[in-house]
Amino acid sequence: MTLIGIQHVDKSFPSRHGTITIMQDISFDVKDADFLAIVGPSGCGKSTLLRLIQGLDRPTAGRVEFRGKPVDRVCAQMAMVFQSFALYPWLTVAQNVAFGLEALDWPADRIATQVERYVSVTGLDGFQEAYPRELSGGMRQRVGLARALAVEPAVLLMDEPFSALDALTAESLREEILQLWTDPQLPPEAVVLVTHNIEEAIQLADRVIVMSRRPSHVLAEVAIDLPRPRDRKSPAFYELTDRVYSLITEGGTPMSAPPEGKPAA
Amino acid sequence: MLGLLVLLDSHHGSEDVALLADDLDLEIDEIFPALEYAEILQFVKVSDGRATFTDLGKRLVAGTIRSRKAILREQLRRTTLFKTLVRALEGAPEHQLSDHDLGQIVSLTTTPSEEAVQNIINWGRYADLFRYDADSHRLLAVRTPAAAKTGGGKAPPPSPPAGAPPPSSGKRAASPPAENPAAKMARASA
Repeated sequence: MTLIGIQHVDKSFPSRHGTITIMQDISFDVKDADFLAIVGPSGCGKSTLLRLIQGLDRPTAGRVEFRGKPVDRVCAQMAMVFQSFALYPWLTVAQNVAFGLEALDWPADRIATQVERYVSVTGLDGFQEAYPRELSGGMRQRVGLARALAVEPAVLLMDEPFSALDALTAESLREEILQLWTDPQLPPEAVVLVTHNIEEAIQLADRVIVMSRRPSHVLAEVAIDLPRPRDRKSPAFYELTDRVYSLITEGGTPMSAPPEGKPAA
Repeated sequence: MLGLLVLLDSHHGSEDVALLADDLDLEIDEIFPALEYAEILQFVKVSDGRATFTDLGKRLVAGTIRSRKAILREQLRRTTLFKTLVRALEGAPEHQLSDHDLGQIVSLTTTPSEEAVQNIINWGRYADLFRYDADSHRLLAVRTPAAAKTGGGKAPPPSPPAGAPPPSSGKRAASPPAENPAAKMARASA
């Protein structure tokens, strides 16, 4: 079932120097049980695309649909995890996790139970009363994750969630995301991950959308058919990394498009 | 530390330390603290520049978010520092220790820098060995009902912040008594 349909989306911004077109004619779907990654060079609009998907911003042309209906406001069935964690420093961990639920007008006792559940599931037990300043980067991102999962979104959006973390912490968090993802009792139904780390995309996702330089279009959708957990050193993994990397650096010729009329990369 | 164990797992459980670091484009000294904790807690053995999982380490990394917490708790509990902290809390008035007391105890095993103390607090909280109230700056014992509730709760292994090692002095002494860790684990798992 298609959860999200992105159909011929353009996005431009007005500026002093005229209109800046970030992306053009972006089309792809996100289906139930998809773990989708979006990669591409800096400035190609990956984060903007996530905002368009969630309804934080509107496309200049084209449509974003969620379960067949246009996304014309912030979609409550999606939740975002941010690179910079975006926690409220004056709230405790439990209060931060509860925040999205309060906005949904849930009764207090239901919120408390839900917070407990997702605090526990993400390993934040023992930190409920802690403030963000007491926490390491990895722990803060777990709070971000717990907060997003607590609203039980259909789609989890992640905008460079591991970029602000040191390499070892990122390693453990990626593994935890996969544990949570493969637990059928937990939300979400689909994940859209934006990352500049190609290996990370291939390690985690079922499909990688490769975007070109700005004004960006979709260069390719690369299917990752490897069983998880994936061995980063396997020939198949290398081959996929190479393929995605070449697409990005060569930048011009979509692999899936017919060759006629297009210059060779 | 957990990230290092996940990384080692992706290298099939045994690897040259230099190559581990290389995999994530790190310098060896950047993975050293994590490696040190992993050794202290008996999840890996390092010899001749090579890190290898112990059985406990393999079990930790193969486990779920929930089971990892339990294993980590058991290993931390055996270290001089955390044993001392837990005992101190048991004996303290209202089962609370001030920041000052905490600093004194920490200084028995390592330099009580702000970062080190925060790390220690977070390791202990994570492993459900104690609680901390940042508003009153007090370490608190985990009460039995809470301990029963949270000790059994699922929890992912939040990589305790790489910083000062939990128990550094008596690092060698902290190697638990000769008892087979696996046997202890088996008894400890509720």
